[in-house]
Amino acid sequence: MASNQASVKSTKLSVKNFKPKVRLPDAGKEEWWNQLREAVRAIHNRCPISYNREDLHKAVGHMCTHSLSPRLYNELKIQCEEYTKASLHQLIDDFMDEMAYLIKLNSLWKDHCNQMIMIRGIYLTLDRTYVMQNPLVLSLWDMGLELFRKFIVSEQTVEKKTIDGLLSLISRERNGETINKSLIKSLLRMLSELQMYQYHFENKFLQVTESLYATEGQNFSQSLEIPDYLSFVDKRIKEESERCLHYLEHSTKKPLLTSVEKQLIEYRKEMIINKGKTELLDTNRLDKLKLMYSLLARVNGGLDELCKRFSLYIQERGTSMVMDTERDKTMVTELLDFKSKLDSVIELSFDHNPKFINTEKDSFETFINRRTNKPAELIAKYIDMKLRAGNKEATDEELDKILDKIMVMFRFIQGKDVFEAFYKKDLAKRLLVGRSASVDAEMSMLLKLKQECGAGFTSKLEGMFKDIEHSKELMPHYKQYLNNQKIGHNLDMTVNVLMTSNWPTYHPMDVILPEYMISYQKHFQQFYLSKHSGRKLQWISTLGHCVVAANFPLGKKDIVVSLLQTLVLLQFNKEDEISFLDLKQRTGIDDADMRRTLQSLACGKVRVLHKKPKGKEVEDNDVFAYVSDFKHKQFHIKINQVQMKETLEENINTTERVFQDRQYQIDAAIVRIMKTRKTLSHALLVTAVYEQLKFPIKPSDLKKRIESLIERDYMERDEDDAYQYHYVA
Amino acid sequence: MKVTIQKWIGVASWKWQVNDDNCGICRMPFDSCCPECKLPGDDCTIVWGECSHCFHVHCILKWLQSQNYQDQTCPMCRQSWKFKTH
Ligand SMILES: [Zn+2]
Ligand SMILES: [Zn+2]
Ligand SMILES: [Zn+2]
Repeated sequence: MASNQASVKSTKLSVKNFKPKVRLPDAGKEEWWNQLREAVRAIHNRCPISYNREDLHKAVGHMCTHSLSPRLYNELKIQCEEYTKASLHQLIDDFMDEMAYLIKLNSLWKDHCNQMIMIRGIYLTLDRTYVMQNPLVLSLWDMGLELFRKFIVSEQTVEKKTIDGLLSLISRERNGETINKSLIKSLLRMLSELQMYQYHFENKFLQVTESLYATEGQNFSQSLEIPDYLSFVDKRIKEESERCLHYLEHSTKKPLLTSVEKQLIEYRKEMIINKGKTELLDTNRLDKLKLMYSLLARVNGGLDELCKRFSLYIQERGTSMVMDTERDKTMVTELLDFKSKLDSVIELSFDHNPKFINTEKDSFETFINRRTNKPAELIAKYIDMKLRAGNKEATDEELDKILDKIMVMFRFIQGKDVFEAFYKKDLAKRLLVGRSASVDAEMSMLLKLKQECGAGFTSKLEGMFKDIEHSKELMPHYKQYLNNQKIGHNLDMTVNVLMTSNWPTYHPMDVILPEYMISYQKHFQQFYLSKHSGRKLQWISTLGHCVVAANFPLGKKDIVVSLLQTLVLLQFNKEDEISFLDLKQRTGIDDADMRRTLQSLACGKVRVLHKKPKGKEVEDNDVFAYVSDFKHKQFHIKINQVQMKETLEENINTTERVFQDRQYQIDAAIVRIMKTRKTLSHALLVTAVYEQLKFPIKPSDLKKRIESLIERDYMERDEDDAYQYHYVA
Repeated sequence: MKVTIQKWIGVASWKWQVNDDNCGICRMPFDSCCPECKLPGDDCTIVWGECSHCFHVHCILKWLQSQNYQDQTCPMCRQSWKFKTH
């Protein structure tokens, strides 16, 4: 600005003195020296210059062309040096407080700059000729800076007072005081112009910063709760960034922030994560977790450590969900909730980081398989619950979303055969006894399983649906067939014909049916075998059910009952009171099923039989009578829910069959491997078997299977080396 | 009380009435289908010969096609092959 104004003035002046006569008498020379000296003195003393600037320029120009430049330069330098010394001397001795001192220094600096600009304006030609031609000579501006710097550096008290003053201002700001930012900015610019910023200021500033945050990190990470500590760190980092924006040099930003991050985060990261993560994750404080993530992302290894701890957290919480048998009833729901909670933590707080996504997956897989079989079983049952008719909590679309979520859990399970067995058992009941919530949902679930595990996994499940479909198609033909037969009774009989190998195994029970039912069965058998030769049929009495009309003294009811319940109720057509043992004998129902059936008729929600004596368990000496005053507000009543329930035997059998099947699969795998490799060491054989099989096997079990195959002559031990096997063709 | 059955939804399961577990041609169990098929049962039935050997229908048809038209024999017993009609 100042130099600009000067040049504008000189242009004006040159217009006044248009076409001056160029006369340079030697006599004028000494006068010029004096005039220039006077002008500089006037500038230093902030007085008006009494000479025409145009003349001063001309004088400088003339001297420069007459090789007087070195002298001109030196005289100016000496004059400036004397002035600077005298002027800056005010900084010494003078008893000023810190603030007054800094303000004084700043005003001296501002004056110096202004004065140098004005001087340079006059001596422009010197700068443009002499200085330009001599690389070792400082420009007038730099010469001025050099004089200023020399003074400050040579006077230790001045330098110390300056740096200390600046640091103390910053420290006051860090303590929350409002400070004069433009003062500090101007002084730091000064240091930077004087080449003193880095060496004299920045190093010391960073030292002070480091020791401040080392102390704060040490103290606050312990005294503050982690969420508060995180906010504190965040605030500090923001403040320091602003400091860089407001007055620090750009070069300071990186080392400054690194130092803060090191002291407050990196050195405290274990502490932050250990103390913080469990509480934050448990209470789902997404904002604080996000802050933790973003702070740790700033330092070396911060996210690695967080990821490691995240994994441990998942495994710890997950393991307790899975291992605690008391929580089996809610295990799947808890797992689903846990998963979706963690998903949203990753999405909202952990920046959707793929590393965390994978860690979550791996951790789930680890803990869920810590308990063998049970999670698979419970996942299957959870799906059954959702797919059963009467589950009105969801539309098809919502149901599909739930199924997708449960598939994620399913993916983690290593023993998928356990899942399949339980899924199949429940599907059978949905298809045969109850109804499905939605055929679409069933098909969609089947497709999901197929996509996940391949067609081999679902072919039997698909076969089950096919069987039901085929049976439906068969029924009209059967009805037609019946019309041509002469049967006294008028019973509406429908049959589901299952291909045995598609379905779970059911134990056969020869129940005693009334004559006319037997004749219906025989007719069906004849009809079926005439259509499908080469097959044999077996009736599964535990899966059948009936709709019966019951004439109670107080009214007629339609009741849906299991076949076993039907057989029991039919006994009461002839007698009013029958003992447990008689009922068993007359119906041929086995003991456990009989107890369950009677329980469902006499101890359930809807009771059509009295049990004498009363009680929840059916005892051998119990006697049963029909409820003569039976009342119910509905005409249609369903009491065959007992068929949908899983019995303990069923549960044990299902698991047992999976284990048997695994043994066959292990045997088959060993034989297959030995057949191709002929001779193999124990270790290599075991590795190959593990590669082929998809379920967990204990090494001891595998040993047993090998022993068994040796016994059965599928393979033999090497005569010299007990750990070497040969295939026996 | 008088109870009358109005509707009966019965359940029966069927198996092939076979002496062997596996098809003599493709070696697959009769409970599964032949290698060409996906689902066992109605889609891949089993047929019997007069000699009382049985095979997946697809397996025996393929076998017969590969045979001389005049001289079609059972792959198990080499007797001349005739489908058994029950
Ligand atoms: Zn075959
Ligand atoms: Zn086939
Ligand atoms: Zn034959």
